[in-house]
Amino acid sequence: MPVIAASTQLTCFGDGSRTWDALTQGRCGARPFDPTTAARLNVGAGYPIAGGSDPGRAAGWLVTVLRAAVAQAGVDAHRERVVVVVGTGLRQLADVEHWALTATPCPVDKLHFGSAVRAALPGVRDIVTLANACSAGGHALAMAQDLVDAGEADVAVAAAADTTTLSMQAMIGRVADRPTERVRPFDRDRTGVLLGDGAAAVVVAPAGRAGPRLARLLATGLSCDAVHETAPDVGGMTRAMRDALHRADREARDVRVVVAHGTGTALNDPAECRAIHEVILADRGDPWVTALKGAIGHTSGAAALCGVDVALRGLRVGAVPPVVGLGVPLAEADGVRLVRDRPVAVPGSLTQVNSFGFGGVNAVTLLEPAC
Amino acid sequence: MLTTTLALRAWGAHLPESDKAACRPEAAAGLLGRKGLLNRDDATRLALCAVHRTLGLDAGERPRGDAHADVAVVACGNLGNVDTVADLARVATTDGVRAVSPLAAPNASSNVIASVIAIWFRFAGPNLMICSGATASYDALAAAALLLRAGRARRVVVVGAEAATGTATALYGRPLTSGAACVIVESDPDGVQVRLNGRVAAPAATASWGDCYGAQGLVGVALAADRVSAGRFPVEVSCGDEVDGYRSLTVHPASAVTR
Repeated sequence: MPVIAASTQLTCFGDGSRTWDALTQGRCGARPFDPTTAARLNVGAGYPIAGGSDPGRAAGWLVTVLRAAVAQAGVDAHRERVVVVVGTGLRQLADVEHWALTATPCPVDKLHFGSAVRAALPGVRDIVTLANACSAGGHALAMAQDLVDAGEADVAVAAAADTTTLSMQAMIGRVADRPTERVRPFDRDRTGVLLGDGAAAVVVAPAGRAGPRLARLLATGLSCDAVHETAPDVGGMTRAMRDALHRADREARDVRVVVAHGTGTALNDPAECRAIHEVILADRGDPWVTALKGAIGHTSGAAALCGVDVALRGLRVGAVPPVVGLGVPLAEADGVRLVRDRPVAVPGSLTQVNSFGFGGVNAVTLLEPAC
Repeated sequence: MLTTTLALRAWGAHLPESDKAACRPEAAAGLLGRKGLLNRDDATRLALCAVHRTLGLDAGERPRGDAHADVAVVACGNLGNVDTVADLARVATTDGVRAVSPLAAPNASSNVIASVIAIWFRFAGPNLMICSGATASYDALAAAALLLRAGRARRVVVVGAEAATGTATALYGRPLTSGAACVIVESDPDGVQVRLNGRVAAPAATASWGDCYGAQGLVGVALAADRVSAGRFPVEVSCGDEVDGYRSLTVHPASAVTR
């Protein structure tokens, strides 16, 4: 079973350590839009990374996290066979929009992240851009582990980057009753999701590789609902959870921490609670459940790896941060132990990270302390 | 990524610009049936047509019953949803979000092709959308091989599509050919096979059907598989460009040993 040798992320709060601090302090990184923009989009706020309005900005963040994670793990891409799998929800589609609105050139090869990664990591063997919506990072992590398990890479990096697009904001605003001001995962009065900028990188290596080890990467389970393009399906979520447990050879009752997908939408949060009930609680498990999007927004394809980075920091210090933005939990969360207001102490133990994307694409990762 | 050999269980190309038997995206209802096609972008329609024909379904026929959790989908392509994205950005900017159609939502996500194929044909295994530029077809077959090797699926439906819409062609900056292909793969090495050879310095040959960008390699494999099963000689296929590099694949006939 491989290990995670390094991990970092970049969010509206800054790097992984700053993001962790903000989460444990219960801070919300939402920045309100100006009134004209809010009215036009029917979206109240975003969770931006400061200074990020240039073309190619998602690629820039990707390079930042990739360099940091690779340095942390001591990866030498000239000596080791390194493959990078980039998960992204919205690619560089923000640049296509900019091109459509202002005729600014948008080179088609910059829509994906191949050249950015090659420049950041000379010697890298292969790069694949996986556009798997809001669970892209989880799917990238599954592929990275499969590559290491198959002996096809000495080191595989699952990375992710996403920047807000106007088109996706428009879809959020189109279905909102009123502009959402902040994301409130699992709250009874949640009003919907908001997008955040984000990037993350997780270095996966065989257990025998010399160097740091943050956790054992047990497994990532995958499934597709094959039911509806935009509405989640409990059956698809539970299949991904069970696939992960089966691959990891662990029992649902042993899951102690869940970093939930928790988007603060009408549909995801009750469905995710039901899936946690059906798989973990029904097996007599009683994990602490947290979610990040109230603090950092929905970082789209980066969300899963942002969750993994937080889970790894939690394993190290033995704590789970609270669900920022949660006041009164929704009825479906009855019996689900949501972390409220302040961090809880949980000795490092089996941790599950959920990600569920548009199109019903589900990825569930299980991590354990590296012992 | 990895170099390996896959068994081709079925294949088919859908090239409306050069093949009269292949319907254009706007006429897809004749092949697929009308229900569920409204608001589908052209690339998704072409992908649906390629899978429909590869599965050997009758006109208007739709698979029913339980979804197959052991069949994965790996789709590839780069420009399928750029029309939707550009249009939404323009409308939202000039007229506000009340003027955009909520029915466009699935197309705003880049994985729309992969997820629609899963829903339409009832494939509930892992579902990937590869958007890695000119080598996307190769990367999709490599991802399929990885899913099979990791025991995540028994069979993988690999499908690639690009549509030469106004926005896609303008962005691409070179002549773009509308086209799609489907290749259904398993790991047992028998029957017609495709070998993934990895990186090469230059393309194998000029493609007679045009340039389908992210679907190019898969169209090449499907057409080569036709020739290989008729002529019993291996055919080399490639995809890529100067920026993304080139990848080579060889389609082999069933070997005497495994037949």
